[in-house]
Amino acid sequence: MNRATTGASRRVIAICIAAAVLTAGFPLFAGPYAQTIARSILTYMMLAISWDMLIRSGQLSFGIAGFFGLGGYTAAITAKYLGVPPILTLLVAALVVGLVAALIGMVVLRLRGMYFAIVTLALAEIFRIVMHNWSGFTGGASGMLLPRTAFNGDSTATYAMMLVMTAVVIALSEWFRRGRVHYALTAIRDNEIGAMSAGIDIYRYLIVVFAVTSAIQGAVGAGYAQLFGFVTPESSFNVNVTLVPLAMALLGGMYGTWGPVVGTVLLGVLGEYLKLIVPYGHLLVYGIIIVLVILGMPAGIVGTVQRSFKNGRRSRVAAGGVE
Amino acid sequence: MKRLRVALAAGAVPIALVIFLWRPTALIYGLQRAGLYASIALPMALVLGIVHIVNLAHGELLMVAAYLSYAGARAFGIDPLFALLPTTIVMCALGVLLYRLTISRTVDGPELNQLILTFGIAMVFGQTVNLIATSQPRKLGLEYVSASATVGEISFGTYDFVFVALALLSFSALHLFLKRTRLGQAATALGQNPRGARIVGIDVQRTYTIVFALSVGLLGIVGTFFMTRFSIFPTVGGSYSMRSFALVAMAGIGNLPMVVVGSVVLGVAEAVIQAIPGAGGWAPLVFFALIILTILVRSFRGGRA
Repeated sequence: MNRATTGASRRVIAICIAAAVLTAGFPLFAGPYAQTIARSILTYMMLAISWDMLIRSGQLSFGIAGFFGLGGYTAAITAKYLGVPPILTLLVAALVVGLVAALIGMVVLRLRGMYFAIVTLALAEIFRIVMHNWSGFTGGASGMLLPRTAFNGDSTATYAMMLVMTAVVIALSEWFRRGRVHYALTAIRDNEIGAMSAGIDIYRYLIVVFAVTSAIQGAVGAGYAQLFGFVTPESSFNVNVTLVPLAMALLGGMYGTWGPVVGTVLLGVLGEYLKLIVPYGHLLVYGIIIVLVILGMPAGIVGTVQRSFKNGRRSRVAAGGVE
Repeated sequence: MKRLRVALAAGAVPIALVIFLWRPTALIYGLQRAGLYASIALPMALVLGIVHIVNLAHGELLMVAAYLSYAGARAFGIDPLFALLPTTIVMCALGVLLYRLTISRTVDGPELNQLILTFGIAMVFGQTVNLIATSQPRKLGLEYVSASATVGEISFGTYDFVFVALALLSFSALHLFLKRTRLGQAATALGQNPRGARIVGIDVQRTYTIVFALSVGLLGIVGTFFMTRFSIFPTVGGSYSMRSFALVAMAGIGNLPMVVVGSVVLGVAEAVIQAIPGAGGWAPLVFFALIILTILVRSFRGGRA
């Protein structure tokens, strides 16, 4: 690493600190509408990052909406029947959803690739039908209200709650990316047989990662339920909850924490604007983005920018071997 | 394998008999459902078997076809079955476009990209229709759809046998196409061994385009009949993608006859659950049980499909 890159990384750190201060102090200067947008961006950010954490191991999950909805229902059910305090429902939801995901993973991760992807895509529908039919317990089609919400719905406090959660998710994602797990997962993605012969227990690693990322989605679902105070089968398990974070992560760039972050902020703001212009069709844009990114820019914004930086540096230094 | 098949066939007869004695209509409606499921799943099996792409937009293409016929019938005040041919042609063209513009670019790419791409396409179709036609369910009140027959003491709807006929027709047509025509043989070869087929000079992209367009065209036919019978809305197709995948996975890639057999299992199982009072709402979970079962059987046999 030469001096230029240390300078660059210092600049990156400075930008990160500035961004952190800005987001932490956000409620001080932003109105309620801006705060609502910020909370929804944070929600999607966590979902996008957790999705990315799993795809780094080569496993594509369409299960975001399923686990998000299940987390929301877990929060509502445990609050209503067991009197669990609002903040604790996030942890309970993470635990329950993580456990469910681990069980599903034990079966489905034996056959990976398309089988895994499609089973996870079906999960939202499956959970929706269960919650819909189990009406004595879950309120059926009309859903259920939470007896009380976190901080009684106080705007600044709930924003802080989402912000803390997001910080935890980002930290977890970075830890996954830097630690042993990362090497194991990348090895699995790049060459399963090679990873296996290097002594990596692929099956167990994948179950753990699937459970952790799904637990995040469950906790986010619970947090979202706390924000709005109710869950229904149609809204909680809506496929858009899978669509939007996926488009955000793809546009920002897969295989890293910052791609999803950049993608969420960009599309979160843009999406809010679009919602004002085309209230019923703005989701079309997310579908189009997915198609265009896969066809034209599979590395996403962050990946593309990084590559052009690297190329620039290589031509300056004129030394090979960097990639 | 052969013994297993004989055992399954022998086991099916008493099960069918029991269902028939318990609720004859469950068996009849189950077979009708099977026809619908098979006629939707066969095109997906075709594409997966030859182009090696799981098309997650499959159900959405069915939905688009249904809306096209609906719009046609409404605009010209004609019976939707007159819209069958135009819809099928438009869908074939859509298939060619879709393949050439998008899917062909990921055919040689990673499987993950293909799945994300077709998921994105599914979302685009769903949202576009939502934007144009809103999410309000639509249905034409056609009289002949409620045709029924009475045999002894049982009376049942007969129109849905149209799906059984459709499934059998499209199965035979596909079988003839793949075995008897030069193009079909080339497609089969590509399905079995893409590299080998390339080496002997089969035009890969052209064959893939035709197979994909054929599959989407078949959905045009099914979609038209679907619309005559069921209400349609932008998200109506999704569950059919799922069911079709369950059937194709169960059958094994490239195995069309087993898709038909699987449809009968799925259709009858759903109809039986629906016939149990109070349990009807759980019928949509059957396909999921089928996928999970398939995965368990496959993984414990040690094969990676």
